[in-house]
Amino acid sequence: MPHQEALTVIARIKPGQVPALKAVLGTIADHGERWVIVPFAQLANVHFARFVVFDETTDLDGNPLSPQLALMTNVDAPLDGHLNELATVCGAGLDRVFEYCEEYPASAGRSPATRLSFLRDHQVAARAFYVNRQGRTVRQIVGEEELRRAINSHLDSTEFSRHPPEAVRRSIVSFVGDRSDLAWALHPAERPALTWRIAEVIHQIGIALLAIVFLPLLLLVSPVLVFLLRRHEKRDVPDTSRAPADSVRRLRADEDYWVQNQVTAVGLFKPGLFRLVLATAILQLTDYAVRHIYNRGSLSGLSSIHFARWVSLDGRRRLFFTSNYDGSLESYMDDFIDKAAWGLNAIFSSGDGFPRTCFLFCGGITDEKAYKRFLPTRQAQSQVWYSAYPHLTTKNVANNAAIREGLSGQMSEEDTRTWLRRFGVGNQLPESGLIARIFDSIRWDRLCRCK
Amino acid sequence: MPLQVDDIQGIILYGYGHLRHACFLLLGISEPSATRAWLKTLDVLSGRFNREEVDRCLNIAFTSGGLRRLGLSDDLMTEFSTEFREGMGATPHRQRILGDSDESSPDNWRWGGPGTPEPHVLLMLYARNEIALSELLSEQQSRFATAGLTPLAQLETTWLPQEKEHFGFRDGLSTTGIEGFHNNTSPANTIAAGEFVLGYLNAYGQYTQRPLVDQSRDPIGLLPHAPEDSTRGDLGMNGSYLVFRQLSQDVTSFWRYCDEQTRQRDGASNAAARTRLAAKMVGRWPGGAPLVKSPEKDDPAFSGENDFLYHAEGDVHGLKCPIGAHIRRTNPRDSLEPDPGSDRSIEVGKRHRVIRRGRAYGAPVVSSMDAADVLAAGDRAGERGRHFLCFNTHIGRQFEFIQHTWVNNPGFDGLYDDDDPLIGDRGGSYGKTAGTFTIQADPVRTRVTGMPRFVQVRGGAYFFMPGIRALRFLGSL
Repeated sequence: MPHQEALTVIARIKPGQVPALKAVLGTIADHGERWVIVPFAQLANVHFARFVVFDETTDLDGNPLSPQLALMTNVDAPLDGHLNELATVCGAGLDRVFEYCEEYPASAGRSPATRLSFLRDHQVAARAFYVNRQGRTVRQIVGEEELRRAINSHLDSTEFSRHPPEAVRRSIVSFVGDRSDLAWALHPAERPALTWRIAEVIHQIGIALLAIVFLPLLLLVSPVLVFLLRRHEKRDVPDTSRAPADSVRRLRADEDYWVQNQVTAVGLFKPGLFRLVLATAILQLTDYAVRHIYNRGSLSGLSSIHFARWVSLDGRRRLFFTSNYDGSLESYMDDFIDKAAWGLNAIFSSGDGFPRTCFLFCGGITDEKAYKRFLPTRQAQSQVWYSAYPHLTTKNVANNAAIREGLSGQMSEEDTRTWLRRFGVGNQLPESGLIARIFDSIRWDRLCRCK
Repeated sequence: MPLQVDDIQGIILYGYGHLRHACFLLLGISEPSATRAWLKTLDVLSGRFNREEVDRCLNIAFTSGGLRRLGLSDDLMTEFSTEFREGMGATPHRQRILGDSDESSPDNWRWGGPGTPEPHVLLMLYARNEIALSELLSEQQSRFATAGLTPLAQLETTWLPQEKEHFGFRDGLSTTGIEGFHNNTSPANTIAAGEFVLGYLNAYGQYTQRPLVDQSRDPIGLLPHAPEDSTRGDLGMNGSYLVFRQLSQDVTSFWRYCDEQTRQRDGASNAAARTRLAAKMVGRWPGGAPLVKSPEKDDPAFSGENDFLYHAEGDVHGLKCPIGAHIRRTNPRDSLEPDPGSDRSIEVGKRHRVIRRGRAYGAPVVSSMDAADVLAAGDRAGERGRHFLCFNTHIGRQFEFIQHTWVNNPGFDGLYDDDDPLIGDRGGSYGKTAGTFTIQADPVRTRVTGMPRFVQVRGGAYFFMPGIRALRFLGSL
């Protein structure tokens, strides 16, 4: 079973073509669940997809930054297969969108091969990429939801209240086995490829060893670093402006059609070498943390994100962040303040205008007013957004996987009881790893005090 | 900082349980200068009063349109909350957040929607008896012409038998207390003042957004000083946002549904099973006992009980009180992340609370409030329901969050197709079909499906209820 990848393609929009491109893209509010021009639903392996236009703006020195179009997908590996599908199945749609961009093949020269080389040439690697849980394919997620629905109907059709748990489980297993369209579920889901898993372990251990080697040096210079950090933090100028009401209204108009939502935020890095080095280090740590520490469905107690990524833009002058999550933007912001403020502060305080932090982890978005005012000023509109399963929460996906897992193998009476409860509610998440639990037990908000 | 009780309108702090007769008037401002003059003389009850002495009283609140009409400038208006400024029925997005679709769409509202004149003022009248209320009403009405006010709607209320709401359940038990002021609520239900009254520290230990006024615009110093900036007057201080929704309840449909779902094999009604299903939906028995305390019967010993948790009392899996029950999702107590069952879970939950001050309206289907009598009565003419009123200082994080993230969310706390069985919108606001209610049980859950919507919205608006000094300031604009 493949792991999941993030594809990002960024292209510069031809001068004067932004309005025409936006007209083709339309808005999420226009599209409903499916957008016809690029039919992502016809691709086998796409979890999420979006198109975002980054409008023309300037950097901190006033230099112009040209408008750009980003195509982003979250897919099951291999990425090559996905790129091929995009260039063929969605070829006509890509033409209609990317013809407003520079370097896209002219109409005479468009073919799957030229599209493919355009996509490859404009592909950008994410600085960090979060997956709620690696290894669940689109097919698995959609199939396991059908499975759960079918089993639920079976449970409705019989009175089980006086049966022992084992008997109920046996009845479910035999029901699934009798259904030729569901019998696949009696085998456990495959794990990601061995080679990929080995590479991940090597990465996990390798970076950790590297960190241990450099730790003494880091500790030695840490007083200097902390001094520099505080000096920068005190000099930071938080952006206290408010986003224009009509642009906020436009963003909200695209939200809350399903349980899932999306957000795209973009900003300039703070100037200076110190901030550059710090931002680079933090993004590296973020990549490491989401791959190896927060990889069991919970980001510091925040469990509502399906996929997220951080990508550099305009060399390394800007960074954008996108995520696919459950619930409203209000609940998303509250979740971050309540559960993961320290992590969000560390990452996004590299961004110009961010609410003032205190020793990197404190302050920042814990100022509710400042955070909720700031975020809309950095939001970019996702013009097109696709989800293969817009009605499923991360908890639903995890619970369905656990239901399927419980159809095979031996189970104790207690485990059977616990498993059967998953048909009543799916709020039991797998426990986080040891390091994650240590981080989560820290009350970051009480660690530091600044004036 | 202690609450400035004498500057806070009384209804924010108290439910006026001794003033059982009430009516709400929606008014339009036709002559702002006359209305301002009227405001200066209006006798509004503050939180400092003696129950024995107060037989009748008034409270007042304004929509954002009302404040603009009174002459509040745009730059001050933008400092009020976005939700309040935009209004309850104003955008398709807010309709999705609130679940106000189809029959409940603002287009069909009797008041507050796009098809009816915008209310500017809400005048709330309370009295000890019917006569006192009608006297108060006619006194007030006689002043409307000179006060430049146009009556738009008069909303009556009823005090139902046995402290119940129309479905037949004891109501008003889950009370929210203000820290340092109400001293009879349990710690888990006692919340920072700033969550309900502007100008005080909220549950984040911060001051919620509100308009502050330069001294030049308040030369005689009518307004209290902002606690975080004493050079500025605080227009929000001692005020609160009032959420008002007129919710009609289809009592017959509710009990018919419970009856049909619990019939015996021979087709006969099963009164005990019917009540049990309804209690599972609510999370309390009709007499008020919470299921988590008394899972098997309506125990009168627990009828007023509100000091309980879910995880801490062992109901992690919803086997006593279902995960999706009305009271477990409108106030999850210690149920949710982070770390369910912990103080941190309760602490985070405290950022999503409101103070409820609603009243019932319409005659009950039967005065016994009993399900069997409701079913025997057949279709009764007339409408009944609840004027749902609640106070909060951050509408988006409190009322709207509860409504969207908890009440209408079919995926609440790991569920799939279950919105609030009592007041949910059946999936409309999440673009799917919900209306399933799952009763967690061992060895395996049971569930009912295809629930109709029992509660519809007939009108609504967001109001700002100013402090008493702020009211004088508005009168002097």
